Amino acid sequence: MASQVRAVRGRSWTERLAASPILWLAPLGLVLAATFLYPIVEIIRLSFTNASLTGGNYSYTLGSYARLFGSPYFASMVRVTVIFVFFSVVFQILLGFLIALAVDQGARRGMRASIVTRTAVLSAWAIPGVIIGIIWGILYQESGAGVLNYLAQLLGFGQIPFLSSPRAALASVTVANIWRGTAFSMILLYAGIQTLPADVLEAARVDGANAWQRLRMVVLPLLAPILLVTLVIVSIDTFNTFDMVLALTGGGPGRATEVVALSIYDQIFQQFDLGPGAATAVVLLAINAIMTFVYLRLERPEELS
Amino acid sequence: MRTLYKPRASQRRKERMVRVWLYVAYTAIIVFFLFPIYWVLSMSLKTVPQLFATPPVWFPIPPQFSNYSYVFENTPILRYLFNSAVIVAATVFFALLIATLAAYGFSRFTFRYKRPSLLAVLAFQMISPVVIAIPLYRTFAALHLLNNYASLVLVYVAVVLPFITWFLKGYFDTIPYEVDEAAIVDGATRWQVLTRIILPVSAPGIATAAILAAVLSWSQFVIPFILIDSPGMFPVSEGLVNLQSNTESITLHYLSAASIVAIAPVIFIFVLLQRYIVSALTSGAIKG
Repeated sequence: MASQVRAVRGRSWTERLAASPILWLAPLGLVLAATFLYPIVEIIRLSFTNASLTGGNYSYTLGSYARLFGSPYFASMVRVTVIFVFFSVVFQILLGFLIALAVDQGARRGMRASIVTRTAVLSAWAIPGVIIGIIWGILYQESGAGVLNYLAQLLGFGQIPFLSSPRAALASVTVANIWRGTAFSMILLYAGIQTLPADVLEAARVDGANAWQRLRMVVLPLLAPILLVTLVIVSIDTFNTFDMVLALTGGGPGRATEVVALSIYDQIFQQFDLGPGAATAVVLLAINAIMTFVYLRLERPEELS
Repeated sequence: MRTLYKPRASQRRKERMVRVWLYVAYTAIIVFFLFPIYWVLSMSLKTVPQLFATPPVWFPIPPQFSNYSYVFENTPILRYLFNSAVIVAATVFFALLIATLAAYGFSRFTFRYKRPSLLAVLAFQMISPVVIAIPLYRTFAALHLLNNYASLVLVYVAVVLPFITWFLKGYFDTIPYEVDEAAIVDGATRWQVLTRIILPVSAPGIATAAILAAVLSWSQFVIPFILIDSPGMFPVSEGLVNLQSNTESITLHYLSAASIVAIAPVIFIFVLLQRYIVSALTSGAIKG
């Protein structure tokens, strides 16, 4: 690389340009700046105004934040989001890990069923979020057409108000989200499992460790960094989820399933309250930024070129 | 010592038990993940009385394929699919173009702030589209660019770019730099190295990146939901929400049929190309 640097000096500007990556990276930089950087600055600016979506004059104020944090809906939104994210993430990681282990074990044995399983799980992930909302809406039907209600009654649980009771609705939305997102943590952890050093596992086997001991004392510690990274990525993803919830419950009943991203949409496009909506968006942006920072910290140990 | 590892009868029995348990696990997983899709498929083939029958009709016989022709004739689902296809194709084209250039730049050049720039690209992927959609809505409204394919494609391209760039950079990194050097010594320009050497070698990687970009943009919802309000321009996910809310005109079996039509392309791609998609996702995952 030193020779490259030396070559740059004392050349014409065209040659210097050819030796620099600027032309290669410029289109990427321009598109990202126009579509992300500018709107981020703008949303932060708008959060300090009392602007309305319908236009008109506005002035700068802290009122949006005061209204947002003072509103009883803020506490409810935080509670709903925390429950939704917590249970989604826990189960997506847990199920994702178990499925990754099962698929890996089958793949090592050359079982074709492992490929079928992997494809089935991934298919759920590829379906657009709104359509997942619609599909689960059909499953959760509370009329005679509801198959899950039929099965619940068969098992003696009686009629379950999947989408009409606030508590059940939040659980229903979370289950649908777990169905949707498990594939993603499964594939990340599956990749992680494949990087595990085979000789260490074999050594543990020779030393007489049983499957549970190998999992707890060898696999989990080795996989811990990837588990952490998966945890952060899945959490960011879940915080940003909105499409599936919108199609499934629209945030209701009441505001029982109004997660933070849906609340932004609702405030701005249903109530035309741009200021408080933008303030909520800044809250979500802050969550994204903090988690991205944590993620980058976790990723650090590699080379710092 | 070797003889210890000769499979004995007890070990073979243990191995058979492991396989049995794996099959049990696979069955449970497959039922959990495919049942919702199967159920919607079966709903889409039912008559109206069958929709509400108790016990439920598990296998609608004979299947009512006429539900599908009803949906094709009486809803704009084909129009939505067409819109999505156009938007996705344009997105994939431009995203690949820009990501290929950037990935080559990141892979083949050393420069100051390279690592921070790469991380910055990645950080954009973490930002919720709903955050950027609102300022974009205002800007596009002021410029009279709402309900415009081109502005939508620009945003889609930006949304898929970070992921595709990282993926292609990882792919290019696996091609030895000596290959470039040899060509440059022979008088090739950087551009020739990229188009004549790197691209042909990375054809499978480019194809996978294209599939991932297509699946990602097929699922986009928030951005068109905010930037498009003319029903004739809805992509498929937004169109379906629209159909869902028009409950008078569309009932469960028609909504099911429309949903199946909307997910069929993605499922088809996934089943057909799952091996490549998995290797792409896993290699991308390891590199972050």
